[in-house]
Formats: sequence, structure tokens, C-alpha cells
Amino acid sequence: MRTIGRLAMAGAAIALAAAVAACSGGTSGSAIGSGNGKSAPAGAKETGGTVTMAWIAASPNFIFPLSPATNTDGYNENLTQPMWPYLVYNGDGGASAVNPQESLYSSMTWSNGDKRVSITLKSWKWSDGTPITSRDFLFSYNLLKANYQNWINYLPGLFPTDVTSVSTPTAHTLVINLNRSYNPDFYTEDVLGFVPLLPQHAWDKTSVSGAVGSYDETAAGAKAVYAFLQKQGGDMATFTTNPLWKVVDGPWRLSSFSTNGDYSYVPNQNYSGPDKPALAKWVNTEYTTDTAQLDALRAGGALDVGNLPLNDVQQAAELKSEGYSVVSDALPGVAAITPNLYNAQAGPALRQLYIRQAMEDLINRTQIADKVYAGYADPGNGPVPVQAFSQWASPLEKSGGPYPYDPAKADALLTAHGWKVVAGGTSTCQRPGTGAADCGAGIPAGQPLSFQLLYSSGQAAMDEQEAAIQSSESQGGINITLKSEPFNTLVGQFGVCTASSHPASTCGWQLVDEGYIPYNLYPAGSGLFNTGGVNNNGGYSSPEEDSLVNATEYGSSTQAFYQYENYTAEQLPWLWLPLESNVWVYKSDLAGFTPLNPVSGGLNPEDWYFTK
Amino acid sequence: MTGYLLRRGGQALVVVIGLMIVTFIMIHLIPGSVARSVLGVRATPGRIAIFNSTYGLNEPLYRQFLTYLDQVAHGDFGTSYALQEPVSTLIAQRLPRDLVLVGLSTVLALVIALPLGIYQAAHRDRLDDHLLTGVSFTLYSMPDFFFGILLIAIFSVQLHVFPPEAPSATSLGGILADPRALVLPVVTLALVTMASYSRYMRSSAIEVLAQDYIRVARAKGLPERLILSRHVLRNSLLPVVTMVGLSFPNVIAGAVIAEEVFNYPGMGLLMYQASTSHDFPILLGCTLIIGVATVAGSLAADIAYAVLDPRVRYGRT
Repeated sequence: MRTIGRLAMAGAAIALAAAVAACSGGTSGSAIGSGNGKSAPAGAKETGGTVTMAWIAASPNFIFPLSPATNTDGYNENLTQPMWPYLVYNGDGGASAVNPQESLYSSMTWSNGDKRVSITLKSWKWSDGTPITSRDFLFSYNLLKANYQNWINYLPGLFPTDVTSVSTPTAHTLVINLNRSYNPDFYTEDVLGFVPLLPQHAWDKTSVSGAVGSYDETAAGAKAVYAFLQKQGGDMATFTTNPLWKVVDGPWRLSSFSTNGDYSYVPNQNYSGPDKPALAKWVNTEYTTDTAQLDALRAGGALDVGNLPLNDVQQAAELKSEGYSVVSDALPGVAAITPNLYNAQAGPALRQLYIRQAMEDLINRTQIADKVYAGYADPGNGPVPVQAFSQWASPLEKSGGPYPYDPAKADALLTAHGWKVVAGGTSTCQRPGTGAADCGAGIPAGQPLSFQLLYSSGQAAMDEQEAAIQSSESQGGINITLKSEPFNTLVGQFGVCTASSHPASTCGWQLVDEGYIPYNLYPAGSGLFNTGGVNNNGGYSSPEEDSLVNATEYGSSTQAFYQYENYTAEQLPWLWLPLESNVWVYKSDLAGFTPLNPVSGGLNPEDWYFTK
Repeated sequence: MTGYLLRRGGQALVVVIGLMIVTFIMIHLIPGSVARSVLGVRATPGRIAIFNSTYGLNEPLYRQFLTYLDQVAHGDFGTSYALQEPVSTLIAQRLPRDLVLVGLSTVLALVIALPLGIYQAAHRDRLDDHLLTGVSFTLYSMPDFFFGILLIAIFSVQLHVFPPEAPSATSLGGILADPRALVLPVVTLALVTMASYSRYMRSSAIEVLAQDYIRVARAKGLPERLILSRHVLRNSLLPVVTMVGLSFPNVIAGAVIAEEVFNYPGMGLLMYQASTSHDFPILLGCTLIIGVATVAGSLAADIAYAVLDPRVRYGRT
């Protein structure tokens, strides 16, 4: 889950004041449990009841499940997934795995050298009683094929442009032919895990009063249908009244929606899946800040589920005494500092692997995880989070990664490459040149080892983390200047910088900590570390890396994945950082809250119920 | 008076158009890519191109401005890049919240500050004046977010008397239907504002109390209560009227800190969030509305002057 930027000074001051005002809270200690465990019901299962859940600045604004390219509201998926789940349901209990019971397919077979996938759908029904068929998948595909450039989840080269044909031999089977071989795990989890089935029998129309047809079968018709559904999908006033959105196949249907970010669901009585909701109502309510939400939790009464900011983990014991349970949830992503390898000033130094190694050696990740994140953080040993994706984490990452905190090693590396290391100050290059013992190409004599680190403002933990990095780097002779900006301002200032394109307007940054990048179920590096990747902002490029990334995407060998993972961890296209966990607070009489789904934002409300 | 109002109206139009031009230019001088800022770190070149095309951002600046002027002339403030809603709708949703919050707190502040200022002036340099001055300075120097959090900690978390959040409804009726939830945010803003109003009122009343006509009134044997209410109050109001008139835009602009603390998204948070996300249509729309409110507030203060002070007459130069 993400939070929006907030008032920098006021936010920090509010946190401070909250800490002062909330001094009655106890210490956290073992008050926070693991979200992986199953919650033990204290009483008999009760059907009915309303759960009110808090979100921080997370208003959705679009209900059609295929959001347009210009709509960046990541919370629209929160709104739509409970009603229109994807073909592949990611997250099985607390495991990072496909959930076969909740997925819409019963079997998926790969053939033709992993270029063809044959899918059999379950005999489930839409909420209006119409069977879910392969025609519904074809409808989704046709819409996307004609409009992929205006679909927010489209990634160049992937679905639907990598599909050569889709056929529907029977009402419940479909065959997708692809233009290349893929790793079935990758394609199933990261591609088909983001394609919903849409009710063709209700949505294949081009106007409110028009009849349903098969418009999607032509490109022009598919464009017209898509445009109509997009327009309807943005009309927030009609989210609960528009007949289109009453046809769902997920466990929930929308019962109310307010533009202030509050919305609620009631169970879809005709849901065909195994986990039928026990609650009578699920209410989502928005808070402007996590502090305001914590106040509401502590005031009691209004909220059943919320988040505990890591700055306030000392409140865990207090909340438990007020009838809440508190659990942590490892996030499926990677946190890092991106070095701009093609910044005019800092690029030549940052392109030197030994300098990146020295910088990583000087980041005390263990201390940051313990002190800044109160121990609720992934250690950040490499590109794969070892807590959320244990099954994909290599032995190297699990054992601490290639660069544990080691100031002496950093000192030795810099000294060996011709730098005069000034602990607590700024080291300077003494031996320019390109030899093995020289500073490296493009680094003149006397150049200081000094960089600016740009990061997102408004979060006290982030301020503390960057200050800790600045301090520990300084002890090794690397001077870091900190500059914080509101998140959206920060994002607007940097773009993808490469050897061939690094305009000053979007490549003036040197180091940036943009928060964390979430993974889908398969934590591969495509788009992040391969040459030209959409998130490869620093311009890292290596034929070896590209080859290893491709091997994880197009092949399915665990060893190949480990090779990619270890190589990436060692080459440091990014400087690895700890990744903070989510800490959830929920009413103790609410059972089924755990195990938390590591993929779907941690939540499966259809499994929740109150106990008597 | 009619001629004066027409003249001021014409001036206001020029001011507002000037404001639009300056705001438009300044907003577009903000460094960084609008599309990337709005679309986020995962924006592909294709999505950036669609975004720029959709919102006309690849047009020359002067053409973008003319398009915007044309839209505004037709009552269309554009669509928010980030929230994907018409700006007029967003303002219509948020404005009632601030009209209630800031409006009520301003009224409450005045209700307390006016008699308090006169009372202090009438009891100048006595113990109660010193005590009330201390309270006023304490409230005046206290940041509203800190005061708000203290009130939440005491009255919501500890005593469970009032909820920690302001009403979540967006309509005027819905907001006013939950008066308990309004207490803490209104009191927070009112007490902080009251402190400054009462200080102005006290100073002004002290000046009035030294005037000859007050001595005459006392010599004529008018009761002190009548002197204070009929002569001192009316003549001391002039500086406060100016303050209230100039604070009118605040009712429109909202109270960003209080909105954040009390989970009450209004105009203040709308503008703050827009400013950090390059959401130009919201910034332009809100600036325009606030500009109009500033001009209207200033005009209202001038008219109030004329009502309160018979010596002030408009219409002739």
C-alpha cells in the first residue's frame, strides 16, 4: 500500500506532537505478531456484522477494471478486484503462490515449447446467473488488443501484443498462442494474474441505451465499447447505480460509494467461489494521514481494521489492551537507492562498481531495520525480499547478501583504487586513470567523492533512514547531501537516463530513493535492471544482466533465477535498502484476518468473520 | 455607491485576469515533467505521450492559456489530472466543508473575541486583563496542529467525549448533522483565531475609550454597559472588520493543517496535494476562486466600513 505525499514540516511535527500526546502507550515488545500465522478464533463463528477498515489517502476514482493509461490512481484496483478478480488469483493463504481455489480457471496447460497455454475455466457464474465462459476472456482480450496503449497495466511487448491468437474451442476452454516462449510461472502469475474476465453479455455495448452485441469482434467496435466503458467507469456518481457495475463475479458487490473516499461492499449472493463472505458489510473509509487514523483507533469504536505507523509501534501494547490484535506483514517489493550512472557530474564515479560496492558496504542495513523500522523490515540484501518471497530468495540473499555492513572493506576498496579516504569528511581521487588501481574513467584528480541523495519528504522514517545513510557513508569518506521533495514533485524531476539519452531536465539527479517498487507474484527483474527497462532509471546496462533477466522470464529454472538474483545483488544496479513491513491492527474478535495474503495488499475480507 | 461598486467590479475583473495570467505562467515554470509527476515512476513513453496529448500539454503555452480562458468563460475549470474529476465538482465537494469549518470557527472566534477585547480594555492593566492577555498569547503562539492533537488526546483518546475526526459527509446538511464531530476542529481553529482578534479588539477599544465622546457620555451619566455596547463596540470594530474581510479568502482556501489533523479533506488539502502533484487544473481553479473571494472580501470590508462609520462615504472622489 502506498501513501501520498503529505505536508513535510507539519507531518513531522504532527508525528512529534502525536508521540508527545500519546505518551500513555506501552512498549511494543512482542505485542506485534506475524501476519503469516493463522488467527485462532476465540469463539464461535458469527454470520453478519460490519467491518470498517481505514485507508490512508487511498480514494479510488474509476470502476471499470481496465483503467486508462492516464489514470494513475493505484487504488482503483482495491475497488475493482473484490468484484472482478483476475483470471489467476495470486496469494494462497499466507503463501506467495497461485491460489487454485479462488482462481477462475481449473486447469492451465503449457505446450508448444511454452508458447501456447490452454486454459479450462471453472463453471462459475456472474452475479446475474449467466455462466462465465471463454467468450468473457475473449471479450477482455479483444478490448485490450484494440486499446492496449490506453490500458494502465500494459507493458511493452507483453499481453496483449505478444498474443498471436486466442481461440475458444468450447464455452469453458480457451487457447492462447504467444509469439515467444515464456516461463510459465512468470506468465501465469505476472501477466495472466492481471487480466480480469469481463461480462460480455452485459458490457459489450457502445451506449447506455444501446443493445448488447458482439461489437468487440472488430477493432472499431472494440474501440467504441472501450470508450463507452471508460466513460461510464469514470462517472463516480453512478458507481452504485449503473447497471453495468452490478454484474460481478467476485465475492463482493459495491453498495455505496462517496467521492470522499468512503465506499462499502455487501456480499455477492451468487458468488460461485469457495470463500463466500460471512460479513454482512465491508466498509472502507479514508483518512488523510496515518496519525489521524491512529487517533481513531485509539479513540475506539469507529474502526475495526487499520494500520499502525512504524513510528508508533510503541502503541501496539496499548492497542492490544483496547481489544485489538496487531500483526506485521512483509511487503512484496524491493527498496533501494537508484544511482544515476549517466548524471553529468556523478555518473563517471557511480559507473564504477567498486564505488557502488563501497557505498553499499557503508549502509548499515541491519541497524536501519532495527532502529528506524523497529525490526519490522526486510533486510534488503538484494533484489528479492527474503521475507515476502522466501521461496525465490537465493542462499546468498538469505545469508545476508554479498554486502553486509563493512566499513573496513569500503575503506580498502577506495584506497586500492587511488582515493585518499577521509573518514568523517570527503575523500578525493589521487590516482586518476583507467588502470586496475586507478580511480576510473572520467574521474579527474582531486574529484571529491560527493553525491546528492534525493528522496521523498513527509515521512519521518524516511528522514531517519536517509540521515543514517548519510552518517554511515560519511564515516567512510563519502559525502552525501540530502534533498527531500514531495513524492510527486520528486517523480516529476527524474526520468530514465541512459548513455544515449540523459537530458539535464530529467537526469540532473544523482542518487534517488523513490520508496519501494512492488513486485507481482514473480519477483523477476524485467523492467527494473535490464537495458531499457521502464524502471531502470539509472541507466544500468549489462549484456550479462540482460541475458540473466531474460532467462528468468522465458525459462523456468530455479538455478537460472538464483543466477540472476545473485548477479544483480552483486552488481548493484541499485543500492539495496531495508524494506519496511506493514503493521495491521484489527479487532481481536475478528477472525480470519490472518494469514495475510502477501500479494493482494494483505487482505481477503471474504475470509473474515466475527466470533461470538 | 453604485458607481463605486461598478468601478470596484471593473478593478476586480482586471485583478482576477491578471491573477490568472501570473498563476498560469508560474505554475508552468515549476520544474519537472508534469506527465511523469502525475503518472508516476512506472510511466512508459507511450503513456506519457497519451497523457500530454489528452491534456494538450504538447501545445504551445499561449495556446494552452487561451484554451483555458475559453474553458473558464464557459464555466469549465478543466479536469484534475490525478483525481480524474472535473475541478468544479471537486470544489463543489470540498468548499462546503471549509465554509462550515472555517466559517463556524471564525464566527465563534468573533463571538468570544469582541466582548473579550472590550472587557480587557475596560479592565486595562488589572489582574484579570493580565490573565486574559496571558491566555491569548498562549493560544496565539500555539500551532493549530499541536493544539488540535492535544484536544484529540484529551477529549477523544482519554475521555472519549468527542470523536477525533470531523464529519465525513460532503454536503452542508450532512456535515451539520454531526455536530459532536465538529466540536474539536471548530474549537481548535476558533481559539487560535480568537486570540489575535481579541488583541486587536482590545487595542482598538483602548483607543476609543480615550476619545472625548466617551468622556461626554460618561459625564452625561450613561451607564458603563451602554457606553461599552453602543459607543465603544461599534467604533472599535473597524480594524477587526478589516481583518475579517481579509480573512474571507481563508474560508475558501481552507485550513490545511486542521483538515489533516481532523481527517477533514477540504480545499486546503485539495490545493496542497495538487501543488505536490503538478495538478495544474486544480491549482488554477482554486487560485481563481480564492482570488475572487479576496476581492469580494476586501469589497465587503469597505462596505462594512461605510455602515459602521458614517464619516466614510463612497461614490465621490
